[in-house]
Amino acid sequence: MWSLFFTILSPTYGWQPLMQSVRHGSKAVTRHRKPMHILKQKLMAITEYIPPKPSTPPGALIPRARPVQEENGLVLLLKKELQTIFQECKMIAVIQNNSINSEDMLHLKHRLRKHSITIKFIPNQVIRSFLADSPYINMGPLFIGPTVLFVSKEPKVKEMLLSLRTSPQMILLGACVEKTLLSRQGVLNYAKLPSVTMVQGELVSGLTMLTSRTASLIRRPPAHLSLLLQQYLKQQAGDASAETTPGDSPADA
Amino acid sequence: MATSSKSAVVLKAVKKIVVQFCPFESNVRSTREFLVMVGSEKARSTNMNCEVITEVKHDQSEPVVDITFMNGERLMMKGARLTSKEMLTTLQSHCVTKDPQAKPGAKN
Repeated sequence: MWSLFFTILSPTYGWQPLMQSVRHGSKAVTRHRKPMHILKQKLMAITEYIPPKPSTPPGALIPRARPVQEENGLVLLLKKELQTIFQECKMIAVIQNNSINSEDMLHLKHRLRKHSITIKFIPNQVIRSFLADSPYINMGPLFIGPTVLFVSKEPKVKEMLLSLRTSPQMILLGACVEKTLLSRQGVLNYAKLPSVTMVQGELVSGLTMLTSRTASLIRRPPAHLSLLLQQYLKQQAGDASAETTPGDSPADA
Repeated sequence: MATSSKSAVVLKAVKKIVVQFCPFESNVRSTREFLVMVGSEKARSTNMNCEVITEVKHDQSEPVVDITFMNGERLMMKGARLTSKEMLTTLQSHCVTKDPQAKPGAKN
């Protein structure tokens, strides 16, 4: 319609084409996603990017390296705690608990607290990674399944065993007493040992027994001699008194 | 390791379970897991008379599970090469043959 107007209104500006087509209806820039023309579709399909295939799969050449995870703050804290435990405490026992009652656990805790034995719950992974760096690496295989640590500064093995006897679900696996790793049998034997003073006394008496025997052996002949001399002197004195008493009476008379 | 209702341990026909292992050996993991599953509250509540005895040894012997049933039968499992699940399924199959019981879920 507008095109017709152009030819009529401006005849002085030269020749204008009769019909001028005006685009209407189909725009290039639309608000919705415009469906591609079929020719454009075909072109896009043909010219799709095909990446070059490597001759060997990438997993085969480079070994799969697990990304080294940095340790949590909690893990570091637990490890520090473990370090102090291993430095200070003379007795560290490893116990496996077969689902003990919370009530029984409270009783056990109370009993152990009296002898200043504390119970520690530390995840097995943390313990094992800590032990791998420390000289106590041989304790590692003990920590499988639900385990608990009994730590104390003094090696109070007897009291611990008595308290454990009352709770059958707590199983003693092993202990590290005074930096020596003991199995369950070893722990039982350790508990039966006499105290240090007794052992020292026994040792001293055993050592001095020999020397005292030699000393007594050496002293025996002179002692015997002195005894004999004393006996002789007594006899002499007895004879002299026997002589003087009959001698005295005639002197009196 | 969590036991679902299907693989719950029912110890009705069991009299005594003796588990012996040496914790310093490397092949005791499955035995210890079996012990945990059998010694759990759920399992023990199915039969309060059943005793679960653990022996900790240090003579490099193999881990052995010795189960005595109510009718005097004994089942010995050498856990060195078995997984805990296998041991559990064996025990359960033996229990089921001993007395065909209703499933623990159906009881409730």
